[in-house]
Amino acid sequence: MCVGLSAKVVRIADGMAMVDASGAKREISVQLLDDVEPGDYVMVHAGIAIAKITDEDDHEADEVMEALLA
Amino acid sequence: MTQDKVTLAMGAGGKQTAKLIEEVFAANFDSPLLTADDAAVLEPPRGRMAMSTDGFIVSPSFFPGGNIGKLSICGTVNDLACMGARPQYLTCGFVIEEGYPMEQLREIAASMAKTAAEAGVALVAGDTKVAGRGQVDGVFITTTGVGEIVEGAAPAGAAAKPGDAIIVTGDIGRHGCTILLARDSFGIEADVTSDCAPLWSSVEAMLKVTHDIHTIRDATRGGVGTVLYEIASQSGVGVELDASAVPVDPAVGGVCRMLGLEPLYLACEGRLVVIAPAEVAPALVEALRGCPHSKGAAIIGKVTNEKPGWVVLNTELGTQTLLPQPTGELLPRIC
Amino acid sequence: MSENATKTAAQILASYDGPHLRIMEVCGTHTHENFRLGIRKLLPEQVDLISGPGCPVCVTPVGFIDEAIWLAEHDVTITTFGDLVRVPGTTKSLAAARAEGARVQVVYTPLDALAYAREHADEQVCFLSVGFETTVPAACLAAEQAHAEGIENFSLLVANKTMPQAYAALKGSADVFLYPGHVHAITGTKLCEDLVEQGVSGVLAGFTAKELLTAMAVALAKAQQGEPFFVNAYPRVVKPEGTPAAVALIERVMEPCDSEWRGLGNIPQSGLALRDTYADLDARKKFGMPKIVGKANPGCRCGDVLRGDITPRDCPLFGKVCTPLSPVGACMVSGEGACSAYYQYGGELR
Repeated sequence: MCVGLSAKVVRIADGMAMVDASGAKREISVQLLDDVEPGDYVMVHAGIAIAKITDEDDHEADEVMEALLA
Repeated sequence: MTQDKVTLAMGAGGKQTAKLIEEVFAANFDSPLLTADDAAVLEPPRGRMAMSTDGFIVSPSFFPGGNIGKLSICGTVNDLACMGARPQYLTCGFVIEEGYPMEQLREIAASMAKTAAEAGVALVAGDTKVAGRGQVDGVFITTTGVGEIVEGAAPAGAAAKPGDAIIVTGDIGRHGCTILLARDSFGIEADVTSDCAPLWSSVEAMLKVTHDIHTIRDATRGGVGTVLYEIASQSGVGVELDASAVPVDPAVGGVCRMLGLEPLYLACEGRLVVIAPAEVAPALVEALRGCPHSKGAAIIGKVTNEKPGWVVLNTELGTQTLLPQPTGELLPRIC
Repeated sequence: MSENATKTAAQILASYDGPHLRIMEVCGTHTHENFRLGIRKLLPEQVDLISGPGCPVCVTPVGFIDEAIWLAEHDVTITTFGDLVRVPGTTKSLAAARAEGARVQVVYTPLDALAYAREHADEQVCFLSVGFETTVPAACLAAEQAHAEGIENFSLLVANKTMPQAYAALKGSADVFLYPGHVHAITGTKLCEDLVEQGVSGVLAGFTAKELLTAMAVALAKAQQGEPFFVNAYPRVVKPEGTPAAVALIERVMEPCDSEWRGLGNIPQSGLALRDTYADLDARKKFGMPKIVGKANPGCRCGDVLRGDITPRDCPLFGKVCTPLSPVGACMVSGEGACSAYYQYGGELR
């Protein structure tokens, strides 16, 4: 369910954004998110951005593990 | 009279047919072996020969990195090369849809001539039919080729042995990805060109290193994954791949992630899977990297005697998993 | 993930000596990724991963495919995610209908389905709207745009579902839920936190190797402590409040309704239907569709598989008449389905 793609926002106009995932580009809707700017990373599902995200999962895993062991 | 579209009359066998052949084919396929007679008269190859035939339909017929003409030469040349055969003669049959632009037909013929020259193969006979509008999609081409097998070479799908190394001659899935993008069904843009290329020079370079190459296959429809499953089954062996060693262009990877597709199942038209004893593999890779169409050659795994018939992947977590078997039509996975 | 964190996570998995634990992959993509990454190999013997109902294709009843084919046979162009094309209906799949001449277009997003309708004014175009909270906003966006623009040749065949009622229905069938990361990217984490009060434990997981490894480590470490718990192990994507604009959009366009889940039966208020304002986009009303009740192959036990009652291997059809190349049940046809995963990775399972 819900294949997600993390992608970088390249440009935005009228609630639509061009996103880039390692060179694969596609126009998606960013209407549901506030304050998205070029350079931001978003999670894309079925042609719409569902969340603003940080690009990498390294830092996240460290934090979660630290909290677990605290 | 110059016409800019192919007409049914051009396929009727009369003057107009002669004109079509003259303008489009004879103008490009300039070989003393290609005559107006009913058949080509040829010197037979020395030793054993390989023969192969393949039909080509591709929509769209022009795509970044090639067109159906180039594809139709590469496909048959590569099939011959996979048997260790130097491509020698090629015939081609066209079925053209009424109304097809002459300009594009000329371009297709020019690509065929150029690719054939690069592959060192002579186009010795051809046939042209024109079908009514809607009976074919643009242009279909069938090529048949004959090649001379290099003495001592005997690569075969059933000859892979446990311990052998598995080589792929470049990054995978570009042709399939290019066609998918060219059809523009999913609104995705990416700077990807087809890998379509004639690979005899790569095979020849390998055969100069050693004749002891167990299997060579070109990974066309179904991609490298399908070829590996075929070899695993034909040879009764297991295949173990290092997922991270399989070369994939980042943009192809991006398209695959977008659509939930597996690059190992995307078509290639200029990539070989080579299976050879582990000790010669590094030298083969080096030889391949010196050839124009296999600069990205890499060892991606090995043949084992575990799990015969299966392709096992070593994952980024250090675990092993099976590569799911192909299930036919590639459909994007979204929800 | 630093070297250290990976090591720690792997150590937690290796050293688990707690009780037998059933972790439910609620989301089909988790099933898919866990197989693809070989995660099961890292888990101790007494930990089982079971697949849940979070594969829209798997829980959608046979009748939905029959409805889509009914539309296709009434000259409606079907636009759909690729996932649904090969799913068998009572007599055939959309792929089979397409071979017989039906117009079936695979799309990446419902917004493309709407664009197709704009470009083909002479065709009636219907989008097959399946999926959970993650997918619903895209369909709602297409509906809202179609409505605003007054596009008359576009409609939706809706079979969307929502997760909260399913969690309740599944309570007790697993010890820990691996919550679907992208559903909660929309809905937030409140529900998961509330479920802890009811004794339901869960970890919200992402989809990369690191994220899944981390989530498993969290699940095992917390389970060993014995208290009900919830941990958001996917904070880079899932915020506690979710994506409020998406929730608001769903509420504007759709309303809850009772819904039939393959395997789980009717779950009250677990489905979504277009609100009256958008009734003209409802394909069932628009084309006066009769009530269609599908008939699944009686031997197919997808339902029991989806409840986690049996493993695919226990189904008499599994691997014999039902394979990925000729699937009988939805769990075999979907790449995310438990049966497909068990079959494809057959030699690799404990």
